[in-house]
Amino acid sequence: MSTHAFLLWWNRIIAMTVKELKQLKRDLVLLLIIAYFFTLDIYMAGNGINLNLHNASVMVIDHDHSAASRELIYRFRQPYFAFKGEITSKNEAENLLNKGRLLAVLDIPENFQSDVLQGKPVAVQLQVDTSNTVLGTLASTYASEIATDYGQELMIKRLGLNTEQMTAIPVIQSQHRVLYNPNRIDSWFMSIMEMFNATTILSMMLPAAAAVREKERGTIEQLTVSPLSSLQILLPKVISMGLVILLGIAVSLFLIIIPAFNLPVKGSISLFFAASALYVFTTSGIGLFIATISRNLGQVSMLVILLMMPILLLSGAWTAPETMPQSIRWAMTISPLYYYNEISYAILLKGAGVDILWDSILGLSALGVVFFSFGVWRFRRQFD
Amino acid sequence: MNLSRVRAVTYKEWREILRDRLFFAMAFGLPVLMFLVLGYGISFDVEKITFAVLDQDRTAMSRDFLHRFIDSRYFDYKGDVSNEHDLDPLLADSDIRFAIIIPPRFQEQLLAGQTTSVQSLIDGVFPYRAEIAKGYLSAIIANFNAQSLADYLARTRGISKEQALSQVSPVRLESRYLYNQALRSQWSMSSGLMMLVLIVTPPILTALGVVREKENGSIYNIYASTISRNEFILGKFVPYLLISCLNILVLWWLVMHIFGTPFKGDPLFYYIASVIYVICTAGIGLLVSVLVRTQISAVTLTMVISFVPAMLYSGLLVPIESMGMGTKTEAHLFPTLYYLRISWGSFLKGLGWAELWFDVTALIFYAILIWVIGFLNFHKRPSE
Repeated sequence: MSTHAFLLWWNRIIAMTVKELKQLKRDLVLLLIIAYFFTLDIYMAGNGINLNLHNASVMVIDHDHSAASRELIYRFRQPYFAFKGEITSKNEAENLLNKGRLLAVLDIPENFQSDVLQGKPVAVQLQVDTSNTVLGTLASTYASEIATDYGQELMIKRLGLNTEQMTAIPVIQSQHRVLYNPNRIDSWFMSIMEMFNATTILSMMLPAAAAVREKERGTIEQLTVSPLSSLQILLPKVISMGLVILLGIAVSLFLIIIPAFNLPVKGSISLFFAASALYVFTTSGIGLFIATISRNLGQVSMLVILLMMPILLLSGAWTAPETMPQSIRWAMTISPLYYYNEISYAILLKGAGVDILWDSILGLSALGVVFFSFGVWRFRRQFD
Repeated sequence: MNLSRVRAVTYKEWREILRDRLFFAMAFGLPVLMFLVLGYGISFDVEKITFAVLDQDRTAMSRDFLHRFIDSRYFDYKGDVSNEHDLDPLLADSDIRFAIIIPPRFQEQLLAGQTTSVQSLIDGVFPYRAEIAKGYLSAIIANFNAQSLADYLARTRGISKEQALSQVSPVRLESRYLYNQALRSQWSMSSGLMMLVLIVTPPILTALGVVREKENGSIYNIYASTISRNEFILGKFVPYLLISCLNILVLWWLVMHIFGTPFKGDPLFYYIASVIYVICTAGIGLLVSVLVRTQISAVTLTMVISFVPAMLYSGLLVPIESMGMGTKTEAHLFPTLYYLRISWGSFLKGLGWAELWFDVTALIFYAILIWVIGFLNFHKRPSE
């Protein structure tokens, strides 16, 4: 290709990109939505959302009313539980659990104190609302930890072991070290995840809409009779929307996530942006493909949602890949977000580099090339 | 209001839907497909957590300890390493979620009646999963400790092993799981997904209704005709509402027969509440359609105000109880929270009017509000 042809090729791309940006600029509502997505929406998702059990309401039926039972009740406290007082009957407990006012009811049997002091094993009952399995599981896990700890302390006291002798019993002390997010701050995970949601929704929807709009209005005919090739028509749509989305990512990362939630960026920012550009390119490819098989925006949005929902919810951020059925795990290997999640959380929080992430980056690139060429090929075929 | 005019608009809209075959197929296919993929895919059962081991002791006792992890269905053993530095890349690349490090002299110390310590490194990028993994780890270690301590007591104090065991763990917590005894996350997920699917598809279906005519210019036919605002909006609304009412029944059937979730409540109550919910969600789409000018902004805005809140603020994925005050208030502004309570209440808890009247009232209020705002903002004489 001569220099002239090369320059002409790029000039056309640039001209078309500018056209797309101008068209976007005219839609004020859409611009506002994009701005909202990358700022306020991410702030709200990161702020005040806590995935762990936090202040779960617990009430107690105390049949014993002794020092020992009070001591046990006292341990059901913040951050995991919030003790809401005592009730007297099982019916009342059931009623409150039904209404969702309480997550759990602790039932302490009669003679709790005397049994415990005599070294008889005692069972304490906890009724847990498990209509939400996540909360139910967490509540019963923490509660049994509380009961076990309490029991062991009692045992140690009764055996007459004092704290100095504590090293003289054959037990394992477990030392947990939580890496990358030692204080388990949910805002980091949540805000980054919401940023990816916004990126995914927009990078699928915007280029697809830009492409199908030309069809709906009939302006596609003008483009196809112009000297532009299919690639020159489609690529600018991806470039322009991609630029807007990358700008959005930059805004949310530097103006929201880092200052508001004190995210320590461990890895290379430029690698993160390169991976994000690759991701936007790949998802845009899916969007373009959808645009070529639909005739109007109604069809586009239905198909986008059909693909987007599983991509967003099953790509590893909400549910761990290892817990999903094998067929769905397998299907998720063609989800670009699956690779992007691995890559970007590892870059941002773990400080990983290309040496570790090369396989995921390669997977994402392969998907990008396949989706994009398939989209262009379909687009070209429409007019033959 | 002239009903024959409403019927005419409805008939016209219905013909348009029927003519667009892909759209028509998706109107019924999308909810079902989405429901099946998400129902099978989303699972909060934390199982098969991947881990690796650094065993610096390599004795019978350390192997016995490790087998408690390797044989558990909650964990997935990925092999052992010989050096602590080898763990870093495994954790950074998400090949493993945690690592266990057993110190040298592990067996020697325990046999000598001394305390030893085991370190675990947990990947904290997804704080919820880190928390669960930590809980399982602690439970296994506590169990090991109880046995080891009982052995020790039996040896040193000359009591039988059973006696020693009951002394070691005097207080036991018995959890009773209400509403979902087997803790099947598919039960709560599938009945909860009714909420998610019914807030994603109906609004997208209706979102394009009015704005499509605006963008095509055919709205001027309406402006020029004798039809009133109310008649037009209602006529546009009815076909989509009917589609969604049918979809409720299909989804309901899937929840019960594909996912095996029991329905314990009052069917009539649940159907009426679901229809009110669909009026709300489809109404959101219609409202957006009235407020904006282009189809693409209608679709993205609908996603912002229906899909994102349904994921974050409904209580399905993120527990409401754990939210901060601000976020909790925000969660109450969306209809999803109320309908999720109705769904879980009806399917799992067997509740009806008596307990859930407040949530239904909230939905009715929401529906009226959307209708009034939509009506007040739709003008037959555009300002431009």
